Amino acid sequence: MNSGPLLFLGLFVTMALSWLSFVMGPQLQLGDTGPTTNMIVGASGQIYPHSEPGTAHQGAEIYRANICASCHTQQVRPQGVGSDKSRGWGDRRSTAYDYLFDQPVMLGLQRVGPDLANAGRRMDAAAVLLRLYDSRILTPGSIMPPYPFLFEKRKIQGIPSPDALQLPASFALPPGYEIVPRPEANELAAYVASLHQDGYLFEAPPPFQPAGKTNAPVPTMAATNSPAK
Amino acid sequence: MSVTASPAQTVPRPSPPSARLDVEASCRLPLLALFSGGVLWLFLGLLFALIASLKFHDPHFLASEPYWTYGRIHAAHRTALLYGFGVPAALGVGLWLLCRLGRAPLAGPGVVLVGTIFWNVAVAFGLIAILCGDGTGFESFEMPAYVTLMLFVAYLMIAVCGVLTFHGRTERKLYPSQWFVLGSFFWFPWIFSTASMLLLCMPVRGVLQSSVAWWYAHNFSVIFLGFAGLAPIFYFIPKLLGRPLHSYYLAALAFWTLALFGSWGGIPGGAPLPAWIVSMGVVGTVLTTVPLLAVALNFYQTVYRDLDALDNHLTLRFTYVGLVFWLLAGVQQIVGVLPNVSALTDYTWFSVAHWELFHYGFFAFAMFGAIYYIVPRLFGRVDPLPWVPGLVKCHFWLTFGGILISYLALLVGGVGQGVLLNDPNYSFAQVMLGTLMPLRISTLGDLSIVVGTIFFLLNFALLLLRWGFRCWIENSAGTRKERA
Repeated sequence: MNSGPLLFLGLFVTMALSWLSFVMGPQLQLGDTGPTTNMIVGASGQIYPHSEPGTAHQGAEIYRANICASCHTQQVRPQGVGSDKSRGWGDRRSTAYDYLFDQPVMLGLQRVGPDLANAGRRMDAAAVLLRLYDSRILTPGSIMPPYPFLFEKRKIQGIPSPDALQLPASFALPPGYEIVPRPEANELAAYVASLHQDGYLFEAPPPFQPAGKTNAPVPTMAATNSPAK
Repeated sequence: MSVTASPAQTVPRPSPPSARLDVEASCRLPLLALFSGGVLWLFLGLLFALIASLKFHDPHFLASEPYWTYGRIHAAHRTALLYGFGVPAALGVGLWLLCRLGRAPLAGPGVVLVGTIFWNVAVAFGLIAILCGDGTGFESFEMPAYVTLMLFVAYLMIAVCGVLTFHGRTERKLYPSQWFVLGSFFWFPWIFSTASMLLLCMPVRGVLQSSVAWWYAHNFSVIFLGFAGLAPIFYFIPKLLGRPLHSYYLAALAFWTLALFGSWGGIPGGAPLPAWIVSMGVVGTVLTTVPLLAVALNFYQTVYRDLDALDNHLTLRFTYVGLVFWLLAGVQQIVGVLPNVSALTDYTWFSVAHWELFHYGFFAFAMFGAIYYIVPRLFGRVDPLPWVPGLVKCHFWLTFGGILISYLALLVGGVGQGVLLNDPNYSFAQVMLGTLMPLRISTLGDLSIVVGTIFFLLNFALLLLRWGFRCWIENSAGTRKERA
């Protein structure tokens, strides 16, 4: 191995192999997936997946800017890989289809905090705001840092703001003051509250109740036409 | 395989002193710029790591300003280490090895110097952008689009000079270190341009962004930094022990199999991607057993008669510890990718422990060893300027101890976290509180590494001062002679 060009060629071929299989291959398989070919109505009755409305969309930018993904993943692993499903982080695994409208896609690689793939199904924007202000309000002992710069502490002038956070007694402010979320906080909360992966997909069907030990159809399902609970 | 039967070069041969001085004079300014910039970024990156780690002691620590949020500090820490320290150190050591082994002076030292300045300015912009909330959101590829172009151009300016130096070599036979250096020089622009194009310029759709980002981060560490760190290990261990490398063919086997299999992977098990992509990553990573065994066997056969001598030379001590860390990190990566294990350890502190072992333990140690050898010889003298030995010792032991503390704490914490998380009877909050103690212990390790790096910085600064002082004395002596 004393020839520079041969060395270069060998490196190029090994590099190309890796590139073809990890960049080109997935692109060929998934790159042109579009929402139009597969319109699936989710559990919520909406077409799935869909682009989120304005504030949630802006909130994704706040999520990116503060790199929330360094502690929170947004992917539910399949049954048998970890305990994601039994923790209630999602009732089905995440698939490539769930991220069609994300830009950028922030799956995350570490779970210092819980997975957020279905955060919107567990909490509403108000709960997210409380967690952003101080996570220990809802989870005592939580290690999530507070984000005071997303909020404004101000003196109540006349009528208290309807947007002010409802703080419990142990976190109460001196009388006459209130904590009002800034626009960024509202956007971020709207984004987190909009996260849900509940569309029914071919590769990740909705959970169903296992049939009994016999081969007979489950009576409740046969009797009514309603979906399994 | 006997050494004499090998047709190729198995020991880095010493070059004649006059040629060596030419080589080193040509490298002086560009390499000093690369190394001193890198060392400063390393220190800054470690400070960021310490801040991030302190947030686990008190979440309110530095929480009032957006710039010091955990996410941003964490990203800035990795960016400063990978791009501020990693790339320039890899380039500097690589350029020097190409000059030394090819017996040719550095081609275009001025271009390298300008490229280095561009690179450091771009990294500074990138870090400021991340701290101001302009990061891309992709792990290990956090710097925004407007910086990546500048980084790319600066990199090319430096690396092209390396390739030209290689082209103009007078020693035609290649030593394994040269393959590794060239491998790393070529690999970076390929993966970096792919990531910039497919993530920032024309983003691919949906989850493919994550797969590209994972592939990039994996290749950056395993291949680019891996090759760049193995090159000085292959050079210094045989050279300073005065023994030929056991086998040229085993080195070639390690090189090609690492390039082939090491570049596959980085996709977590259970990722929302077609199963074949995840499986290919697992297969590739498991097959890196081959280069791991080849390197281990090769060096064992080279050094086993001289194990005591390994501690005698200051460079050698860093280098062989770096090699041991590389082997350990490789074993951890292979074990961690097995489906039964990755189900537990993915997304836990286990992977952070691996990150620290690979980057601080292996890569940084290989670079420290090389820098301790190279820098004193850059000043164009047959007698190299000496380092302060006490400071080197402090640097070694504090950094080594710090890495061990931090690594073991995170490893134990990560495995514990994985096992508990797998049992839904433990609430998530309980699991998190369980990891706090290991995390807090790892802060001690981070602190120790920072203090060790201060000793390194001090030593580096002293050496530069002494060089400046000597130049000044010689200049004034020269002018006095002229006057006489």
